[in-house]
Amino acid sequence: MLAIHDLHVSAGGTAVLRGLTLEVPTGEVHAIMGPNGSGKSTLAYVLAGRPGYEVTRGSVTYDGRDLLSLPPEDRARLGVFLGFQYPVEIPGVNNVYLLKAALNALRKQRGEAEVDAFEFLALIREKMKVMRMEESFLSRGVNEGFSGGEKKRNEILQMLVLEPRLAILDETDSGLDIDALKIVAEGVNRLRSHERSIVLVTHYQRLLDHVIPDKVHVLVRGRIVKSGDRSLALELESRGYDWLAGEAA
Amino acid sequence: MSTPLLERIAGEHAAIEGRFPPTAAARARRRRALDTLLAVGLPTTRDENWRYANLRPLERMRFAPAVDGASPIDTAPPIDVASLPASVPGFVRYVFVDGIFVPGASSAGRAQLASTVQVSMGPPALAPASAFALLNEAFATDGLRIEVAPGESPRDTGASARIEVVFVASASAQSSTTGDPQGASYPRLSINVGPRARLEVIERHLSARDEPSFIDSWVDVHALEGSTVEHYRIQQLGPRALWIDTLAAKVARSAVYRLHAFALGAQSARSTLGVRLEGEDAELALHAVAAADRAQVLDTHAVVEHAAPRTRTDELFRGVAAGRARVAFNGKVIVQPGSHGADSSQSLRGLLAGAEAEIDVRPQLEIYTDDVRCSHGATAGKLDEAMLFYLLSRGIDRDTARRLLKWAFLEDVVSKVSVAELRRQIEASLAGRLQETEALKELL
Repeated sequence: MLAIHDLHVSAGGTAVLRGLTLEVPTGEVHAIMGPNGSGKSTLAYVLAGRPGYEVTRGSVTYDGRDLLSLPPEDRARLGVFLGFQYPVEIPGVNNVYLLKAALNALRKQRGEAEVDAFEFLALIREKMKVMRMEESFLSRGVNEGFSGGEKKRNEILQMLVLEPRLAILDETDSGLDIDALKIVAEGVNRLRSHERSIVLVTHYQRLLDHVIPDKVHVLVRGRIVKSGDRSLALELESRGYDWLAGEAA
Repeated sequence: MSTPLLERIAGEHAAIEGRFPPTAAARARRRRALDTLLAVGLPTTRDENWRYANLRPLERMRFAPAVDGASPIDTAPPIDVASLPASVPGFVRYVFVDGIFVPGASSAGRAQLASTVQVSMGPPALAPASAFALLNEAFATDGLRIEVAPGESPRDTGASARIEVVFVASASAQSSTTGDPQGASYPRLSINVGPRARLEVIERHLSARDEPSFIDSWVDVHALEGSTVEHYRIQQLGPRALWIDTLAAKVARSAVYRLHAFALGAQSARSTLGVRLEGEDAELALHAVAAADRAQVLDTHAVVEHAAPRTRTDELFRGVAAGRARVAFNGKVIVQPGSHGADSSQSLRGLLAGAEAEIDVRPQLEIYTDDVRCSHGATAGKLDEAMLFYLLSRGIDRDTARRLLKWAFLEDVVSKVSVAELRRQIEASLAGRLQETEALKELL
């Protein structure tokens, strides 16, 4: 589904990704771990199409398409979803309105009619239950006045409603207490399917106790320096990242 | 002081003075206003407080009123009543065309007026607060005077008086060869709310036709002890209108004055607002929106004076400028000596939505007392890139995302309109304008 080949990206003139190569087959969950500043969030943003990054070399294909040539809104409509590390607050734009507009954009892309208002509300209510979100959420502005944990849960709620084909979750576990972590993990697990790929970008392995990855990659200084199965995450947990620093040189 | 403009004003006044309604008191007041105006002069853009306004069109305007009150227009309103905005349920409507009351278009005829409302030119509760208020006083022949009797119960429990005033500009203020009336329009509104009483008032300024009208409005508000005044002002004049507006308010002890101002129309509009919190615990909420495109100029100059202990101000401004439009909001807060415990917060924000648009938001503080809390924030910038990317990343197209963010920017203030039907109307107008803005394919 996702194939990244020799990707070089710089931001503000500084090289951040330096020859990153990665394949995520359909139906798999991959975790990308790495120390602060290794380029994890840059990778997530570049895949979603955030401006401000310069791709100097390499390619990213998604379902056989050149992902990097598409504007962010087109990527989203083709099923790419980014769960933000720091979701923005947009007072004045209602949560429900955003979700409905987003869902209708997807449906339009697929040649389907707009979602029925009642069905839509029922759908949101069902997903809100999964994410244990309060009814008041419906009348609030996007992330407006949400706590850190509520914002992360809202990201997963959006993901559950939009049902992306490729979900990239950028540090969705950071800043969550253990109960919220379990709720978020449950949301992610619900979306696991053989038709869908999920990339979990994380610093710690604790989310991986609840969402078991098929593969774990270690990103250090802009390159994947080691790949393995779930046990690699556990090893990182006990040994830290320092022992891998030499491999990135 | 004498300039060609002032000489022309004096000349036009002299030419029609004999046609004004002949009450001696009104005549004397008009005369006094004119003399004072001639002495103080009109401001120019060289004055610091007027640098953003567009006063040049004045040179082409006729100052004598289009209708001088002597003409019998009471029977047939010269406007299409159906084209007015829908009535707001519960509000009694008074319609003025070019400054003159039109009973046929109003929901209350001149004869059946509620005892608290008078169509007349009684002495104003406050003295004219600017040169343009003097100009209004010198030429206006009709107006609405709202007197709300004292409330019996403590504040916030009694029923509200609900009044809507619609000022329609119809005539051109420039010379033309048609036989239509020409001249300026002088809307006049005077509000006096008795102790503990409540008033909700909607004040609209509209154009009946796309003419180069000149509208010089003068509004004074006196909120007496413990009263509550909700004042909604919606300016939706036509694209060639010049609107110059003066509002002065005095707020007595424990009274609350909430002014919600929406400036959407006109070629050029300038609003001069002066509010004096003169009793202890008096409170002001000033919530203003300006949305301009093309080459519109929307300028607001607000001075709030805290003249008593524990007085409070909450000032919010949101302005959007697209195209080559210019939006300015100058918010001055003065805390007088002895006003300890005064609390003022200002949040002034401008959004640039056009490559050649201009926004100026300026908070100013003058504090002469210790023990006050004054906060202010002012920003002017383009749409927030992080917000934009968030919406795009959810598959929302770029035009919709931008429109949505502009909408969200203004919604902050619009949401504070508690009259549901009015809020719906304002939202519909704003949505229409933002759409139109997009159609112009402007750069962001």
